[in-house]
Amino acid sequence: MAARRFIVEPRGLVSWKVRLLVPVLSVIAALVVGAIFLALTGENPFDVYGQMVDSAFGSSRALSETLITATPLILTGVAAAIAFKMLVWNIGGEGQFIMGAIFASGFAIWLGDGAPAYIALPVVIVAGGLGGAFWASIAAIPRVYLGTNEIITTLMLNFIALSFMNFLIFGSSSPWRDPAVSTFPQGRPIPESARLPEIFNRLDGGLFIAIALAVGAWYLIGKTTWGFEVRIVGDSADTARYAGIGVARKILGIFLLSGAYAGFAGGLFVSGPVGALDPRSLDLGLGFTGIIVAALAGLHILAVIPVAILMAALVNSGPALQSIGVPTATVTMLQGAILIFVVAGEFFIRNRVRRLEPEPTPEPVEVEAT
Amino acid sequence: MTFKKFRLFAMLLVAFALVAAACGGDDSSTETTVASGGSDTTVVAPPAGEPLKVAFVHVGPVADKGWSWAHDQGAQFIKGSLGDAVEITTLENIAEGSDAQRIFEDLAAKGNTLIFGTSFGYMDPMLAAAENYPDTVFMHATGYKTSDNMGNYFGAAEEARYLSGMAAGAATETNLIGYVAAFPIAEVLRGINAFTLGAQEVNPDVEVQVVWTSTWFDPPIEGTAAQSLLDAGADVIAMHQDSAAPGQAAETEGAGWVGYNTDMTEFAPTAWLTAAIWDWGPFYLETANQVIDGTWKSEAVYGTMADGMVALAPFGESVDQATQDVILEREAEIKDGSFSVFPDPIVNQDGESQPLGDIQIMDYFVEGVIGSATG
Repeated sequence: MAARRFIVEPRGLVSWKVRLLVPVLSVIAALVVGAIFLALTGENPFDVYGQMVDSAFGSSRALSETLITATPLILTGVAAAIAFKMLVWNIGGEGQFIMGAIFASGFAIWLGDGAPAYIALPVVIVAGGLGGAFWASIAAIPRVYLGTNEIITTLMLNFIALSFMNFLIFGSSSPWRDPAVSTFPQGRPIPESARLPEIFNRLDGGLFIAIALAVGAWYLIGKTTWGFEVRIVGDSADTARYAGIGVARKILGIFLLSGAYAGFAGGLFVSGPVGALDPRSLDLGLGFTGIIVAALAGLHILAVIPVAILMAALVNSGPALQSIGVPTATVTMLQGAILIFVVAGEFFIRNRVRRLEPEPTPEPVEVEAT
Repeated sequence: MTFKKFRLFAMLLVAFALVAAACGGDDSSTETTVASGGSDTTVVAPPAGEPLKVAFVHVGPVADKGWSWAHDQGAQFIKGSLGDAVEITTLENIAEGSDAQRIFEDLAAKGNTLIFGTSFGYMDPMLAAAENYPDTVFMHATGYKTSDNMGNYFGAAEEARYLSGMAAGAATETNLIGYVAAFPIAEVLRGINAFTLGAQEVNPDVEVQVVWTSTWFDPPIEGTAAQSLLDAGADVIAMHQDSAAPGQAAETEGAGWVGYNTDMTEFAPTAWLTAAIWDWGPFYLETANQVIDGTWKSEAVYGTMADGMVALAPFGESVDQATQDVILEREAEIKDGSFSVFPDPIVNQDGESQPLGDIQIMDYFVEGVIGSATG
């Protein structure tokens, strides 16, 4: 067994430096690997990386577009982070996002032009959260009281929500569908009073609402008694039970909260850049991407915010790279490499690789295997 | 559990917001300068000596050998004709809907003077981008909205659909033709109706059964839909899809196949009959030249077989000479205007005669179509 030179062991307390250093090194490693690949395919890696940064942050327009893309990701990221942290495997963010959008646009259309913005906007945003929580409840209640597997149910509910949205626009004359357009079924534009005003360029106030909601979730879970009890449930359901905490209701609560956050994302997206229940604009996989954001953020709620912004930058750089002639496949490879390296880096945050020195210790523990 | 570590992130975020606000002031003024740099006319020709920058935005991969591929062929036609006088940027797999506005504005900001969007769902985002970049020419395929610097274009595919229907009507022995269709919208209904009328011209007993897929490009679903029609007794498959999957299903079952968009013979050489296909090249070249000359004007263009935007693909081996002759004769009459595909009044699915109406908003089936015109 002397051939084994390295050993992997879990780190005890993870220091601040490691937490920050490992992801940064991971990204650098991904960029180096990407650069080799780019050079081999005849691209100049510096041009490509320069273009990536430029297209995401290089101008006020680029920056505002990155923040627009980041807004729903912050909320779907928080939705995934709070659930996963408590070992509730809600991968239904996509469906809850869509149901949030359906509720939000439905209430906006129902209120009509008459309602002033200070009524319409809060109603629309709350409706989004309600829609998401409602959709989550379909999986949450059986999970808590019957022990069904929420991975399966939330995943399936994504497809049902998507089909339901398509039905509302393509398959029926629902109030969501625009009666004025006969050539191709489209969502009915929601009243102007229910639209978030643009602040600079196309960026609307949704970003700040999303950040406020994320901070709110962090406060709720990190600073309140309810949050404290929820965290105990997340750490150990048995401990929580001994402490007299109602485990079922806590899990239900966190599940619904998670759904509500994905729903908020849908509501803000409709009220912000989209302005209608438009399946083409909403079916972008923002709920699924939220799971990646949460994972990259190490399931820390506030870390979701910068990660979502970087994720948005990465996503938005794709078309910009295509426009300097980098093939789509190469762009996807680069984006994938960065994500995989960062997620793999998580391993090194939790574990340490140590070289096994030929220790002259008197302990003859490592006996030769038979 | 400590949450102190999040403070840095919070600070980063504040820094971000500050940077954002600071940049906001600066940059918008630069953009205004750029915008006001143009002349008073809507369209600005590129400075002499510099190449015209043209961009194409596609919803699917240009390698689909279907819709996006046909448009990409058009782009290459411009390049082939104008060479160094143009610089072409192609973006593929760009999602439709509000997110696309960013893409169009980005292309305009990068100095593209002429931007084509080749999918219906780009209409509203392109309109919004056109408003923000008044000196850029935007061209949208298949839509119905225009503005001072945004034109739209499409073509009378129904003319070639009618002819391809004739080939299908002659080929079927069971008198049942299966039609795999995307969405119940005017464009698709027009195609199905023209196809059916063409099939009935050579074979009055023929019926066309329609299955909706709710997809433009989803090979597994479209192949399965074709299979279900073959199982129901159809021995020719027609389609309004971008994939060749229905043809491959037909090939396996020994049935005939009428494709769409491009000559897809290679995917099902035995089954192939013909197809309505697109030739965007000459129109794209003309548009590019108009922008170079400064003569471009916003309008809604509806191309035809006569001007070559729409064409009939080469016939497959199984289409006999007599059938080909009849079809080519009709093609000549369509081109010279002596034959029009739709009669007015027209007999609808229920056997009632009704006025033809505006074919751009056609929402009914003609007699002989089996299926629902509302999806």
